[in-house]
Amino acid sequence: MHRRSLSIVTLLLVALSVPVSASQFVDQPFDQVARESAYIVRGTIVDTWSAWNGAHDVIYTFATVRVHRYFGEATGPDTLVVREVGGTVEGYTMEAIGFPAVRRGEEVVLLLSKWDDGSDLRIHAYNQGKYLVRDRGGVEVLVADPVTQGSDRLDRADRFDVEANRIEDTPGLTIDEFAAMVDDARAGGRVDREQQRQ
Amino acid sequence: MKKQTILALGITSIILIASTEPVMAYTLLSPRRRWASTPVTVRVYNVGNSTISDGSGGVNATVSAIRVWGIISSSSTSSAAVRGSAPATIMLNTNGGVCTGGCLAATLTGYYISQSGDDRIYDADVYTNTAYQFYSSGESGCSGEYDINGIMAHEVGHVIGIGHSSVAGATMYPSVSACNTANRTLASDDFAARDNLY
Repeated sequence: MHRRSLSIVTLLLVALSVPVSASQFVDQPFDQVARESAYIVRGTIVDTWSAWNGAHDVIYTFATVRVHRYFGEATGPDTLVVREVGGTVEGYTMEAIGFPAVRRGEEVVLLLSKWDDGSDLRIHAYNQGKYLVRDRGGVEVLVADPVTQGSDRLDRADRFDVEANRIEDTPGLTIDEFAAMVDDARAGGRVDREQQRQ
Repeated sequence: MKKQTILALGITSIILIASTEPVMAYTLLSPRRRWASTPVTVRVYNVGNSTISDGSGGVNATVSAIRVWGIISSSSTSSAAVRGSAPATIMLNTNGGVCTGGCLAATLTGYYISQSGDDRIYDADVYTNTAYQFYSSGESGCSGEYDINGIMAHEVGHVIGIGHSSVAGATMYPSVSACNTANRTLASDDFAARDNLY
């Protein structure tokens, strides 16, 4: 119980340390995001590429994620492809302001769901479904990704350079704490940020 | 004693500066980009939002609300948004296939990166999540709905190249709550961002 309370407090600190970065989003409770996700994975983004869709009206960026671990009961292949709105093709950049940015080399935990058309995977609940993994003294911790599309942290020269866009030290959630929260959420437990704030 | 005096003078100076200079905390989209000229033409697709009962589905209210920026030429149009092609168009009746779940409204912006560092916005379109309930300045009363005037004023901030602000009360502050109409009026921080770009 104490550990769970600590986890919730830590998650709140992580969430509150980064401004809600969005076009305009309504914050979703963690348990809802976790329950609605098809897959929750710890992985490495090993490749990204961008392309126009068939109608030539949206540029998507595809990210190949090498999966190291699945959380919850749902498991899948060793490699997943995630599709996100936004990207650059032949010098033209399309950005969805506030949407997640995916960059090669990132160590991540992603909460993924299917697109509405049932095709590829996308990051669920926008940046609420993406965490960066950091090594803190040999322990992997999760921190909310402060970088979104259009973000001032995405400098032009090194916008896809993970090291150059390093985030400050922020409190993190250990992988084990996160896994316990996912299990609780998927089992029907409720970790509602709004309720915890009150 | 001398150290204490210097310290006191330093603190006093900081307080004086802080009290005389307004706190500016806006961000611009990165890389910095803007439209080639002003006024920026923004059209509002004349098929409105079905949850707004002001007679035009929020179209007329939006056309008026986004002029708050002072550099916008707005009108309604019978032409839907064409991504990748100007003019900027606001769609109140569709999520564009990208703004779902916790997304209230989303701005997709397109630009070319120039070698001179003066990037030009070529197009920006705004989509609305029709799963939410909205209301406009043309209606009276509010019950758990989101203010389309304020939301579109915020989105048009993105359209012209502005990111989020950490100043609570600024239209470009990232979070929004139901029945809050504060975003209809720009704060000094919003004007400073605009004036930085244009």
